[in-house]
Amino acid sequence: MKSYIKIFLVVMSILILPNLSNAQYCNNFHASFCNPSENELYKINGQSKSALFSKGQTSELSVIVYKGQDYRISLCMDENLGSQASLKVYETKKVKVEKVVENKTMEDVIDADGNPTGEQKEVITKETKVTEEIKKELLYDGSADNFATELEFSVETTRRLILEISIPDAGGAGKSKGIATGKGKMVKSSEMGCVGILIEHMTTPKTGFYGTGF
Amino acid sequence: MNKKSKLALAALVALPLIFLTSCGNDEDADDINSDLVEEVISNVKNESYYQIPSPDEMFGFIKESGLKYNKSMLNPVQNVSSYSEPKQQSLNFGIYSADLAYTAAFEEYQESIKYFGSIQKLGDQIGLSSAFDKSLIERVQTNLNNSDSLIAITNKSYFSVVDYLEQNEQGDKLGLVASAGWLETVYIVCNTAKYGKDNAAIDRLADQKLTLDNLLAYLEKYQDKPDVKEALGWFQDLATVFASLEQKSTGSGITLKKKEGSKKMVLGGGDNITITEAQFNAIKNKVSEIRNNIVKVQ
Repeated sequence: MKSYIKIFLVVMSILILPNLSNAQYCNNFHASFCNPSENELYKINGQSKSALFSKGQTSELSVIVYKGQDYRISLCMDENLGSQASLKVYETKKVKVEKVVENKTMEDVIDADGNPTGEQKEVITKETKVTEEIKKELLYDGSADNFATELEFSVETTRRLILEISIPDAGGAGKSKGIATGKGKMVKSSEMGCVGILIEHMTTPKTGFYGTGF
Repeated sequence: MNKKSKLALAALVALPLIFLTSCGNDEDADDINSDLVEEVISNVKNESYYQIPSPDEMFGFIKESGLKYNKSMLNPVQNVSSYSEPKQQSLNFGIYSADLAYTAAFEEYQESIKYFGSIQKLGDQIGLSSAFDKSLIERVQTNLNNSDSLIAITNKSYFSVVDYLEQNEQGDKLGLVASAGWLETVYIVCNTAKYGKDNAAIDRLADQKLTLDNLLAYLEKYQDKPDVKEALGWFQDLATVFASLEQKSTGSGITLKKKEGSKKMVLGGGDNITITEAQFNAIKNKVSEIRNNIVKVQ
């Protein structure tokens, strides 16, 4: 009887797993499993997100943080992904970059009388082009902060940030590796799980004495 | 276990296997298992997600900054039955969602009820009815005198729509909803803030240059869909107007660190985005043009 149950469970897991692959069951994971702040002034920010991760995976969430606001970012994940997920915060901005582009053309060689000699020479012209590039600057590395899963900060200038989340691979390294393909991947499903990023915001509280007291 | 039970159990186990094997050619069961699991693995890849702040964040801020509520900015609820095209319905769902957030932020409770009704109606038409919990509308009515609860409920309805569209892999529709919602918030700020007077709101408007970058990146992911491609064109036009806004250095490099004598971390330094009156007017005109094109009734 036990062996029938085992076979049944295996078959059912084969049928169900592809549905999980769409990461659907991770939706709203952040709302259910990330610990919100105890400060009631914080409100849940619509930029919060959950997704399906595998060990060794790195993904990015691009968010906007506005000046005059406090933000609290908390990370939560399924237990099987370990406890050393790394949160890095980058600033990204578009910068204008001047690039010198060389154009090579072949031109007829002209003799002293202005007639073509029948030979050709390579002519190089240089052109300066202004292009926009995305510049990324590391602002915070959670792995240097004891793999902190919470980050709270006030914003003085509005920024477009990238929250980079890396789940260490089975060997413990945080770098993302290519995902192997081939037979016998049943065990790999245990290396996948949900990751949630809960973002909360509130107006930065004013500190000090205010008003026109006497 | 008697013989009949065993047979029934064997049939239960065998049925899915027969179904699986009948789809393949000469593959054995082991091969099929591997292929299915491979699909699971290969679907997980490094991703970049681009988030767009929801309307409530902007309206909470502009209310605090002292801007007054202006009902004439809203898309009238009577228009809802005029939107018959799916693209128009998705876009106006976003417009009405922002209008709902606006009325809730300014505690215009009776208006909130009307706008909630509009987004429910449009939601039904674009296949979002299951995103709305039936009890939500009742909760809106029972929380009429509690602005915090009303805002929380309207946010919940917006987030549940986002969640539903993500779950059902309708990122293209979500792109239309979120971009129209963002546009409506910018439209309301542009048309209620006065340049040179409402400085906080004007600064927040200038900062939308960064939000627009995320919006464009999101829409570009789905530009193979004709509706998204069309909307992307509108927002790219708007981006060219925003591009003229200068980014001026605050004099120090950007940092995220604890300030001396403080426990809290501070994100400061770097560049500030500045906006002139001419740029403000140009943005206002372009935003109004795109928004009025979306809400117009044929």
